[in-house]
Amino acid sequence: MDFSFLLLALGQIISPQTIAYALAALGLAVQFGFTGLLNFGQAGFMAIGGYAFAITTLHLGFPFWLAVLATLVATTVMALVLGIPTLRLRADYLAIVTIAAAEIVRYVVKTPDLIPLTGGSDGLNGAAVTFDALNPIPPGSYGFGPLRYDENDLWIILVGWIFVILVALLVRQLMKSPWGRVIKGIREDEDAVRSLGKNVFSYKMQSLILGGALGGLATIINIIPTSLQPDNYGTQTTFFLLTIILLGGATTVFGPLVGAIVFWIVLSLADGFLSLAVQYHWLPITTIQQGPVRFIIVGVALMLIVIFRPSGLIGKKREAFFA
Amino acid sequence: MPDTTTERAALIEGAPAPGVKKTDPIVVADGVQRTFGGVHAVDVDHVEIPRGAITALIGPNGAGKTTFFNLLTGFDKPNHGSWSFDGKPIGGVPAYKVARRGMIRTFQLTKALSMLSVMENMRLGAQEQPGENIARALVPALWRGREQQITERAQDLLARFKLDTKADDFAASLSGGQRKLLEMARALMSDPTMIMLDEPMAGVNPALTQSLLHHILDLKATGMTVLFVEHDMHVVREIADWVIVMAEGRIVAEGYPDQVMSDQAVIDAYLGSHHDTDLGDLSEEQQAELLDETQAEVEREEERNDG
Amino acid sequence: MRHDTTRRRSGPAALLTVIATAAFALILAFAGAAPANAASSPSPSPSSSAAQSIQVWIRKASDRSDVPGVKVTVSQGSFSQTVTSGDDGKALVPVPAAGTYKVDLDASSVPEGAGTVPTGLNPRQVVVSAGNQGVPAYYILVAPGGGATPTPGASGGASSGAGGGGSGADSGASLFDLIAPRIVTGLIFGLLLALASIGVSLIYGTTGLNNFAHGELVTFGALMGYVFSAVLGLPGVVAIIAATVLGGVFGYVQDLGLWRPLRRRGVALVPLMIVSIGLSLALRYLFQFIFGADQLVLPADNRAAFILGPVRLRSTDIISAVICIVLLLLVAFVLLRTRIGKATRAVSDNRSLAAASGIDVERVIRTVWVGAGSLAGLAGVLIGYYQSLRWDTGASILLLIFAAVTLGGFGTAFGALVGSLVIGVITDVSTVFIPNNLKYVAALVVLIAILLVRPQGILGKASRIG
Repeated sequence: MDFSFLLLALGQIISPQTIAYALAALGLAVQFGFTGLLNFGQAGFMAIGGYAFAITTLHLGFPFWLAVLATLVATTVMALVLGIPTLRLRADYLAIVTIAAAEIVRYVVKTPDLIPLTGGSDGLNGAAVTFDALNPIPPGSYGFGPLRYDENDLWIILVGWIFVILVALLVRQLMKSPWGRVIKGIREDEDAVRSLGKNVFSYKMQSLILGGALGGLATIINIIPTSLQPDNYGTQTTFFLLTIILLGGATTVFGPLVGAIVFWIVLSLADGFLSLAVQYHWLPITTIQQGPVRFIIVGVALMLIVIFRPSGLIGKKREAFFA
Repeated sequence: MPDTTTERAALIEGAPAPGVKKTDPIVVADGVQRTFGGVHAVDVDHVEIPRGAITALIGPNGAGKTTFFNLLTGFDKPNHGSWSFDGKPIGGVPAYKVARRGMIRTFQLTKALSMLSVMENMRLGAQEQPGENIARALVPALWRGREQQITERAQDLLARFKLDTKADDFAASLSGGQRKLLEMARALMSDPTMIMLDEPMAGVNPALTQSLLHHILDLKATGMTVLFVEHDMHVVREIADWVIVMAEGRIVAEGYPDQVMSDQAVIDAYLGSHHDTDLGDLSEEQQAELLDETQAEVEREEERNDG
Repeated sequence: MRHDTTRRRSGPAALLTVIATAAFALILAFAGAAPANAASSPSPSPSSSAAQSIQVWIRKASDRSDVPGVKVTVSQGSFSQTVTSGDDGKALVPVPAAGTYKVDLDASSVPEGAGTVPTGLNPRQVVVSAGNQGVPAYYILVAPGGGATPTPGASGGASSGAGGGGSGADSGASLFDLIAPRIVTGLIFGLLLALASIGVSLIYGTTGLNNFAHGELVTFGALMGYVFSAVLGLPGVVAIIAATVLGGVFGYVQDLGLWRPLRRRGVALVPLMIVSIGLSLALRYLFQFIFGADQLVLPADNRAAFILGPVRLRSTDIISAVICIVLLLLVAFVLLRTRIGKATRAVSDNRSLAAASGIDVERVIRTVWVGAGSLAGLAGVLIGYYQSLRWDTGASILLLIFAAVTLGGFGTAFGALVGSLVIGVITDVSTVFIPNNLKYVAALVVLIAILLVRPQGILGKASRIG
C-alpha cells in the first residue's frame, strides 16, 4: 500500500498553489472580513490579474516588474468598474455583480475569437520566463523523498512565501492603524461611520482595490510553476477562498494563511485516502466518482463552519464575523 | 431649567407660527419634499432652526421627523428643496461632508460599533487624523502624535459621560442607555457646531434619562445648537427652548414649549388624541393603527440602512 | 387552534397538488395534439415505423443558408444508410435501435464554393436513446479562405439554387430570418427561466435569502425527469409530473431540515447566503457523483413540429411554452386571489407586520419553499427537453436567474417574470451579433447595466432602495 500521499499532502504546506490561495484569501479577507464587502467575484480579479501578467509577458515582451504593474492596473480598473455602480447599493448587489463579472471574464477569455490573445479554453503557457530569468538558485534537484523541487520550483516557493508574509504584515499594520479602524467601523455600520464624517464610499473602494490586487498577484504565483487555465478561475474558486477565510477566521490577518494550508492539506489527504479506498475496493465507487468528492467535502465544510464555528479556527469567539 | 422671557423673545421675529423667522437661524430650509411611493413623507415649505438653542421636533409616528432628519444630514435625497447650514447651502452635499462641516447626528436605533472597543468608537469620531489615509497609515510616525491627542480628548469625554471604566470593553457589552451615551460622546469628538439627536431617550432607563438631559443642557451651555426628535412630552417641556410640530410630513405648528403643549388643538390634531394614553387603554383597532405607524417608521429607517 | 394545524398541513400539499394536476392535465391535452401537429407540418418527414431517427442538417457558416445535395452516411455495425440533403439542407435518417451511430459527410459531394466541414467534426459519433426522434447531427460548412470567399454573388447563387429557402439574397430579410426564430426560442427560454426565477424571488421576498442553491433545485428536477423517462422508460408525462412533485418535496425537505432550523437560530442573512453556497457546491457535485459528468438526453421527438417562416419549433418547445404560461397564470392567480397567496405577498411586503396581524409566517415560508421547489423542478425537466441536461445545468443558469430577478426588481414575483423574458430574449438574440459561447455574457452585462441606471429593477419600487 502506497502511503506517499501523506508526504505529498505535507508538501501542500509550501506549494505555490497554497501560497496563491493564501494571498487571494487575504485579499478577500480585507474586503469581506474587515470591510464587510460581499465580493463573490474574487476569482474574476484573479483571472484579470493573471491574464494581464501573461498577456503582457508573452505578447508584449514586458519585463517581470512591468508585467506585475500591468496586473495591478488591471485589477484596479476592474475594482473601479464594479465598485462605482454597486458600492452605494445594498450589499447583496455587489455580491451578484461581482460573481457575474467574474463569469463574464471567464467566458470572454475562453471565447474562440480571442484565441490568439488569450489561448481560449487552453489558456496561456510560459508566462514564467521573465520570473525564472531572475532566479539566482543553481540548477539541481532539492528536497527529500517524494517531495522533489527543481531550482525554479524552489525559487517561486521562496519568493512566494516571503511575499505573502510581507503582505500579511503590511495588512496587519493597516488594520491596526486609524485607516483600519474606519474600515472595521464600516463593516459594523456604515451609516454610523458616515455620520462621523468619513467618506465611506472611498474607503470601500480602497478596500476593493487592495483586495482585488492581492487576488491578481496571487494568480501570478499560481501560474508561474504551471500555466494559466481559465477554468481554474470559475465561481468555485471564489467559494474555495470563502471557505478558506472562514476556516481560518475571516477577521484575522493570519487566518487566511492558516486556512489555505489546512484547506489544501485536507483536500490532498482526502484525495489520497479516496484513491486508496478505490484501489482496494473499500468503497463502492469508481475512479471517476472520486473527482466530485472533494467538492462535496468543501461544500459541506463551508456549511458546517458557518453554522457551527463562524469565528474560524484561530479567530476569537466574540470576534466572529457573524454575531 | 426654564428660559427667561428675554431669552425667549430673542429667538423669533414676530409671533410664533409655522415657518416663523428666527433672529439668528443656523439652519434654513425651503420647499423640502420627499415622497415614498406617491406619499409625501416630508413636505416642508419653510423652517428655521435657531442657533445656540435646544429645538425639539415632535409629532406622531410617521410624521416624517426621521426622514426630515435624514434629508438635512445628507442621508437621504429629497425630490426637491434646498437648505443651508451656517449660511452655506448644503442641499445635495453627501452625508460625510455635512458631518465635517459641523452638523453631526445620532440615530434612533443606536449605532454603536459593537465589535470595536468603546475607545475605538470614540477615536473614530475625531477629525483630521492623518492615519486615516491609507498611505500614511503605513507610517505610524505620521499619525501617532495626533492619535495621542485624540485619545486624551476621548478620555475626557468618556469621563464626563461616566464611561471611562468601559474604555477597553467592546461596545457590544454596553447597555442600551450606555450606547446612547457613547453615541453622543462620539459625536462630540469632532467639536460640532450643531448636534442632531434622533430620539435620544428611546429605550433609556429612567435612571439614565436625567443624566442624558443634563448632558444635552451642557451642550447648549458650551454654545452648541441642538435639534432633537422626542416623544416624551415631559422631556420636551423640561429642556427644549423651541418646539416644532410635524404631522403627515408638514410643519403644522411652532412655538415655545408650554404654549405648544397647552394648545389643545395641537394636541388633538397633531399629536393624536391618544398621545398620553396608555397603549392598554386603546381599542384593538387603534392599536393596529399605532402599530402600522410605528412599522412604517421603522421600515423607513431600515430602508435607509439598507442603502 | 385546531383549525390552524389542519390548514398548516394543507397549505404546501395543496399547492403542490394544484401545480402537479395542472401540469398533468396540460400534458394529456397535448399528448394527442402534438403528433397531429407534426403530421400537418410541411417538414419532409418520411413516414417510417422506426422509433428513432437522426436529423442531418447542412448549412454554411457565412450566411447560415441551407446546402442541398450533400451525401451523408449513417452507420452502425451492419446498418448503413446514405442520404442526400434536400432543398432545406436536411435529411432525416430513421435508425432501427438505440445506440451510437457514425455519421459521415462525403466531402466530395459538397457543392463548389460551399466550404468544408471543420476538421474533427466529421465523421462524428451520435448517441441515440430509445425513442429519440431527430437527434441532431448538424454540419456548418466553413468557407476555405476565411472572410474573403463568401461573396454576395456566391451565396446568392447557392440560395437561388435552394429554391424554397431563397430569401438569403436580401440582407434585410435575412437579418429578420436570423432574429425572428431567436426571439421565439428566447421567449420560450425566458418562460422556463421564469418558472425558476419566481421561486428565487418569493424566497428572497419572504425570508431575505439570496438562494445560491436554487440552481440545484432546477438540476434536481431535470435529473428526476431523466430518471423517470430515460432510465425507467416511463412516458414524458410521468417524468414531468414526477420532477414537479419531487421538486416540491425537495424544497420542503430543504426548508424543514436546513433553513427553518437556521432561521430559528437567528442566523443572519449573509451567513445564510454562504450556507446556500456551500449547499450548492455539495449538491452539484453529489449530482455529478451519481449521474456522471456527461450530457444526458431526455427521449423526445426533436423534429420540427411547427414551422412559420424562419421559425421552427419542436413539439416539446410548444408543450413547454404552454405548460409555462398556464403555470405562470396559476401562480399569478394563487398570489393575487388565494388566502395563502395574499399572505405570501403580505410577508414579502413586511414580515413583522404580517406576523403581528396574525399571519403564520412560518407556514407561508414553508409553502413558498414547496412552490419554489416544484416550479424549479418543472423548469429543470423542461430545460432538459429544451436543450440537454447535466449535473450543472441549474448552476449554469443560476446567474441568469439572478439577472432576471434583479432586472425585475428583487422580491417582486411579476418582476421576475418580466425579467426572465427579457433575459431569455437577450440571451438568444445576442447570438446573432456575438459568438455563441458569449450569449450568457450579454445577459450578465445587461444585469450590470440595469443596476447602474435603475437599481430597483424594472418593476421594483424606488423606495425599496434607501
